[in-house]
Amino acid sequence: MQMLKAENIIKSFGSHRVLNSVSLEINKGEVIAVIGPSGSGKSTLLRCFNGLEEIDSGMILIENETFSCKEPGMKDTVKHGAKRAMQKKIGMVFQNFNLFPHRTVLENIIEAPVTVNKMNKKEAVQMAELLLEKVGLADKKNSYPSKISGGQKQRVAIARALGMNPDIMLFDEPTSALDPELTGEVLKTMTDLAREKMTMFVVTHEMRFAAEIADRIIFMDDGIILADDKPDKILTSPDHFRIKSFIEKVGQ
Amino acid sequence: MIMDNLAQYIIDSALFILKGGILTVELYFVTILFSIPLGICFALMKISRYKLLREITGFYTWVFRGTPLLLQLFFTYYGLAVVGITLQPFSAAAITFVVNYTAYLTEIYRAGIESIDRGQHEAAHALNMNYFQTMRRIILPQAVRRTIPPTCNEAINLVKDTALVSVIGMSDLLISAKEIFARDFVIIPFIIAAVIYLVITTVIVYFFRKIEARYSIY
Ligand SMILES: Nc1ncnc2c1ncn2[C@@H]1O[C@H](COP(=O)(O)OP(=O)(O)OP(=O)(O)O)[C@@H](O)[C@H]1O
Ligand SMILES: [Mg+2]
Repeated sequence: MQMLKAENIIKSFGSHRVLNSVSLEINKGEVIAVIGPSGSGKSTLLRCFNGLEEIDSGMILIENETFSCKEPGMKDTVKHGAKRAMQKKIGMVFQNFNLFPHRTVLENIIEAPVTVNKMNKKEAVQMAELLLEKVGLADKKNSYPSKISGGQKQRVAIARALGMNPDIMLFDEPTSALDPELTGEVLKTMTDLAREKMTMFVVTHEMRFAAEIADRIIFMDDGIILADDKPDKILTSPDHFRIKSFIEKVGQ
Repeated sequence: MIMDNLAQYIIDSALFILKGGILTVELYFVTILFSIPLGICFALMKISRYKLLREITGFYTWVFRGTPLLLQLFFTYYGLAVVGITLQPFSAAAITFVVNYTAYLTEIYRAGIESIDRGQHEAAHALNMNYFQTMRRIILPQAVRRTIPPTCNEAINLVKDTALVSVIGMSDLLISAKEIFARDFVIIPFIIAAVIYLVITTVIVYFFRKIEARYSIY
């Protein structure tokens, strides 16, 4: 069952082509790790999947529905409202957490369910408490983000994204802003999520996570997908010297 | 006996001066009440993605921050009368002050909104919040908090600027003090006026501190 499909995505910033005809498919329940050198277009690709970046041309399908379809120089055939409705299926977790600092942990989680989905506040609180329990932060529900650690912030951010009940979760380097000793708790939360068969698209430098949890690894280089394969294949016997040297470098 | 007389003189003068100031207090509240929400609206227009809105608000703040308030007051009261729009001094003053202070607050709130991290907009977008929800629930509460100190400055400036209304024939605190001075030729009325101004600004600062404290729970 297909969750997301991208076809020939092209995206430039000015004259710099950051995505050069990228195509890929994500199946339901799959965990995909995206790796590659800095500036290769990993974040940009992920941001195109939830409309944070507009593609120049190409097509994105979400659960077989067109989310974005563009010819070069033409308007997107999908209307803004339809995009927003589909975007509800896509959760996102940022490198810098981006929690709302003026809201408590609990309020961060119920914000969108209540204001966007018009969920009853009581129900939303119950749901948020369950999610917080799941990420192991039930006791922090009334704390403000400034009062918790980076690892805890990222777990709240994951719970917040889950609060909208997404079908796929996008992660953009979720542990890169954390002190090494705090990455474990976030990776554990993500591992739990993967076990529950959440579809996940994870840009990461955590090779162990990629090796152990991901079903597939995508290697991006200079705006293209250089390889898209099973983790052991990519990590142990890559076809391309660029991948080999990259893995040797981050493996150190 | 002399002390008693002096006390009585001060009280009488203070009451007279305060009475003169009533209208300017009203002007003060009208200005605050209108220019803060208007400033927020105009700030949003000034950073909107529609070029026309940006240009209109840009022109507006350019004109009203770039010319003296006194000139604007003359313009509304005397200038408009020439083309057949006659206004009561209070209306003229209220319109001028609201328009002028909104221009300053627009810039303050624009800077405040723009100082909020892009990540906040992106997180709201990722949670499927629309522009209006994002602004109202996420961006403005944070921006308003950051703009409390400059807003307080403007609120204090406004106290002092209200003294300008005497030029269009409105009574105010300072004019009443001057009347007493002209009659008795003593310095006391000016001291009283100064004390009253200080009390008012102290109250304002206190009030803004309270608001700031309430906002600084996070
Ligand atoms: N908004 C933008 N405007 C201009 N250039 C941008 C913008 N966003 C990204 N770029 C450029 O696009 C290229 C790809 O960026 P992207 O963030 O997708 O790379 P990345 O693979 O995520 O890198 P990293 O590992 O450093 O996060 C980079 O050269 C970057 O400078
Ligand atoms: Mg990146």
